Amino acid sequence: MKERGVMRSNSLLGLSFLLMVAALYLVFVYVPTEKEMGIVQRIFYLMVPMGWLALLSFLIVFIGSILYLRKRESRWDILAHSSAEVGIVFTTLALITGAIWAKPIWGVWWTWEPRLTATLVLWLIYLAYLMVRSFATEESRGARFAAVVGIIGFIDIPIVALATTLWRGMHPGAVIFEGGLAPSMLLTLLVSIAAFTALYFCLLGRRIGLREVEAEIKKLSQD
Amino acid sequence: MKKFLGKVLTILWKDILSELRTRDIVVSVLVFALLVIVIFNFAFEPERVGLVAAGILWVALTFAGVLGLSRSFVLEKDKDCLEGLMLCPVDREVIYFGKMLGSLTFILVVAVIVLPIFFILFNLPIFRPELVLIVVLATIGFASVGTLFSALAVNTKAREIMLPILFFPIVAPVIIAAVKATGLVFAGESWSSLSSWLQIMAAFDIIFLVVSSLVFEFIVEE
Amino acid sequence: MENLGYLFAAFTIVWAVIFGYVFSLSRRQRHLWRELDSLKETMRGKGQD
Repeated sequence: MKERGVMRSNSLLGLSFLLMVAALYLVFVYVPTEKEMGIVQRIFYLMVPMGWLALLSFLIVFIGSILYLRKRESRWDILAHSSAEVGIVFTTLALITGAIWAKPIWGVWWTWEPRLTATLVLWLIYLAYLMVRSFATEESRGARFAAVVGIIGFIDIPIVALATTLWRGMHPGAVIFEGGLAPSMLLTLLVSIAAFTALYFCLLGRRIGLREVEAEIKKLSQD
Repeated sequence: MKKFLGKVLTILWKDILSELRTRDIVVSVLVFALLVIVIFNFAFEPERVGLVAAGILWVALTFAGVLGLSRSFVLEKDKDCLEGLMLCPVDREVIYFGKMLGSLTFILVVAVIVLPIFFILFNLPIFRPELVLIVVLATIGFASVGTLFSALAVNTKAREIMLPILFFPIVAPVIIAAVKATGLVFAGESWSSLSSWLQIMAAFDIIFLVVSSLVFEFIVEE
Repeated sequence: MENLGYLFAAFTIVWAVIFGYVFSLSRRQRHLWRELDSLKETMRGKGQD
């Protein structure tokens, strides 16, 4: 059983490596430079995958939370907790790449434009989820409370996105792209997203594996 | 349905009665709101204050709301009332709605007192009916999620910090909508411009009233 | 070709953070495995009594 698990995780690692190499090629060799923004625009192929993963991770947190509350099996809690940890890493990177994008393009490190603001709120929700676990009185309570935060937080995200978009309106500086995406750019973007998603699942798998070892240790030490 | 309502109102009445006796929560929240407003006045240049008036009002109401929410559950926990409540053979949703309406009432009472004082301090045109709707919708939003989270926070090792950390990000859309809408009202706009903001608040309220009531039982189970 | 620095910074930070995270996971893993092994040793010892 463990053999298969190790094999699967290694093949996933291999897959994400291949995708990553492909993505690097596409981003640096294949894709033409964008007219208006110049070479800096390529940060886009980092930024969008980060944002996408921030959302995907929380979706997994949401699913894990619901399943945990329903079935009370610890593996769902482990899934949710691990995804939250990996997720906050990617959300932080989304904010950082967003800022590095903003500086050369708009001249400031930070702007309260809809996407960045909503990402910041998402980051705070991740933080709340993780803090609930550390400040709970017992572990089982922490898991339950965190699951509640996971559910409420996820439902809140689209509302936050809607409110921040309406709040700032679409002023020229905030529009990431005028016109559509050229097909070459779209391909590069999709491969980048795929590469980082594979990486996400690798990291998630490792984190879950660690948690399971922790759980086993705890069980053994109680005997 | 009638019995449900009856039980909810009983819990609400119990909270109101105990509050009437001590006036603990309303007084502290009121004083806090006024302090926030006064301090914000020091923070801004007099000419600028008019521009940020809507924001100041809602910062005051938000922080005051958090204070009120945490106090109402801390009192319960300290006197072990929560356990007593749990022993009653009622659905957890009943307890949720009872507490929620209690918090709602307190915050609304505070708002009713704070608003006229706010108008006087800021020299704003007195009363617009739109404001009532904005305040009611926003407060329902606060109470819906706040009741859930303060029940959660009270059961953690760091009550004072847990509630704000949980509350503020989730409630951010309500604050955005309330400030925007209030600003429009102060600027003399009419109903139509407010509609999208009111819709956001209303949607938030409905969604989170339902979800919180369903999820509440997981917080208070033992 | 201006702003190349920003592009470099973005990619570097992303990879630094990801590697940092993987590294911390590995460290925790080693520590946990050591703990697990020592626990198993003690259990085997107890079993023989």
